[in-house]
Amino acid sequence: MTSFGLLRFTAKGLARRRVRTVLTIVGLAALILTYVTVQSLVSTLEVNLSGSVSSLGGEIDVWSKGASYPLISKIPESYAAVVKAVPGISFATPVTLALLTVDSAEALTAGVVPAQLHFLLNYSMIAGTMITSNQTGVLAIGKALSTTIGKGAGDPVQLNGAMYRISGVYLTNSWMDYSAIIPHIVAQQMIGMVNGTSMIVATARDSRNVNNLIGQIRTLMPTVEAFRTSETPSKVSPIFASLESIASDITAIVTLGAVLGIMNSNLNNLRERMRAFAIFKATGASYNQIIKLVLYESLLLGTLGTLVGLGISYVALQFISIPIVQNVSVGVILVPSTFLYAALLAFSVSVVASIYPALRIARVRPQEVFRFG
Amino acid sequence: MDEKLLLRTDELSKTYWNGPEKTVALDNVSLQVRKGELLAVYGPSGSGKTTLLFLLGGFDKPTAGKVLLDGIEISNMDEHRLSRIRRTTVGFVFQNYNLVEELTVLENVKLTMMFEGKPEEEMKERTSELLDKVGLVGRERHRPSQLSAGEQQRVAIARALANRPRLVLMDEPTGNLDQDNSRALVQLVTSIIRGEGVTFVIATHNLEIVQGTPSRLFLNAGRVATEFISQS
Repeated sequence: MTSFGLLRFTAKGLARRRVRTVLTIVGLAALILTYVTVQSLVSTLEVNLSGSVSSLGGEIDVWSKGASYPLISKIPESYAAVVKAVPGISFATPVTLALLTVDSAEALTAGVVPAQLHFLLNYSMIAGTMITSNQTGVLAIGKALSTTIGKGAGDPVQLNGAMYRISGVYLTNSWMDYSAIIPHIVAQQMIGMVNGTSMIVATARDSRNVNNLIGQIRTLMPTVEAFRTSETPSKVSPIFASLESIASDITAIVTLGAVLGIMNSNLNNLRERMRAFAIFKATGASYNQIIKLVLYESLLLGTLGTLVGLGISYVALQFISIPIVQNVSVGVILVPSTFLYAALLAFSVSVVASIYPALRIARVRPQEVFRFG
Repeated sequence: MDEKLLLRTDELSKTYWNGPEKTVALDNVSLQVRKGELLAVYGPSGSGKTTLLFLLGGFDKPTAGKVLLDGIEISNMDEHRLSRIRRTTVGFVFQNYNLVEELTVLENVKLTMMFEGKPEEEMKERTSELLDKVGLVGRERHRPSQLSAGEQQRVAIARALANRPRLVLMDEPTGNLDQDNSRALVQLVTSIIRGEGVTFVIATHNLEIVQGTPSRLFLNAGRVATEFISQS
């Protein structure tokens, strides 16, 4: 029997068993939706967080050892010079971070060296100007924060109770849009971190050399932790550190559930059709042909389930956004590889869940089925 | 070896074990069936008729003895070769017809040819020919449940003949049929033997069929009690 003939025969059979076919397709689609949603949410959070910190962060971040968040990190400011002195480092600057009250809102406030700001942050000014000196009483705020507090360039604003003036409003299209920027030296005084800083941001001359440079920094300063900026999400919070593994666990559990569920459904379905398969064997179907029949059926269901699942996932994720901070939501980022992996996962689940039932049904002995049912 | 001989069994035995309990279903049965012959195997229920047919069709393995089909022993064949024999050489009409309920009459008849990988055109042509032969033209799209017992049996016969087998085994063909349908069946089988040159072995306890067949084998408690082989 040709493969095409088998496929056509199988497709007709699926069309006849509509309820079971639809339920299996829906099950596979749900698996894909779960996988794509979980992975896309994690990717989105990571990309946004990584993007926001990396806009501050060049390629290498240096924090105090053991700090799980830059807000609680404190290292000597002089370490910036030590990092910069490492051969291969092109740029290193201190950044002080603090959660401060801007009028009535609480916002991340970054203290940066004004002259080095353009190396740190990819921004565009939508009103006024960025801070340019170490002058006290001037700050720049992100667009989202500006909207929240209802103030713009030139307006007075209270920063932790002290009166400031907004020099300008910037846009980064990242979490930084809900933040304020003040001079580094001012930040040090405000949060009592004289001669200290939250972190040092560095850039390598050759990005292929980053790992080597990180090693050198760790050796030079054993009290700090240096890592790639792209690793920031897992460093920022213990929750982020485990988010990926939680996503993987969810995927694994859902996948296992899907395999067992579909396998159970296949077994029950084939048991109900035991007589039909016994007739197939009695009329000359070989062991391999029976296995092919079952596997082709699973492949067809897998294909349909995958297509439906990918379609539903794509449409559903267009309408989902993640609120990252007050008033700021980001759309879910659709990564093509997530869809590819989802398709592979659904196919694998579909095929794996049919192997055991196929082997069992292929061993059916017609004479026993006909005699004993 | 007799060239006219299609089927031969030598001291065929089949024993079933249910724990320590032993059931001898068939005991030293030797028979010979010539090409184009109609052999009726008759006997009471439990005499081993179905067991014999299953052994002749390669569905089951004998405990002892052998089955030779066209001089080739099939009782020791592996499953792969047996499935080919079932596709091409032996057709089986089961007692309950065993039609696939979800398939139409047309698809049921095509089944064996499909597993053999016959081209669609050839399958269509042969199916039409067979449905015409068994008088089921116009019922192609019906499901087995929409047919009478006699019609279902004719579908089963058409399916068994689809790949032009050399031997057709029929198990209790009149078990579910009334007298008229039984007579029609005998006529149909006779015409098929004449038309297609197929050899039939029919297991039955219907004496009317038995009396109409030239060769008979009476089984009792798994043993051959009497045998009458036509010399014509």
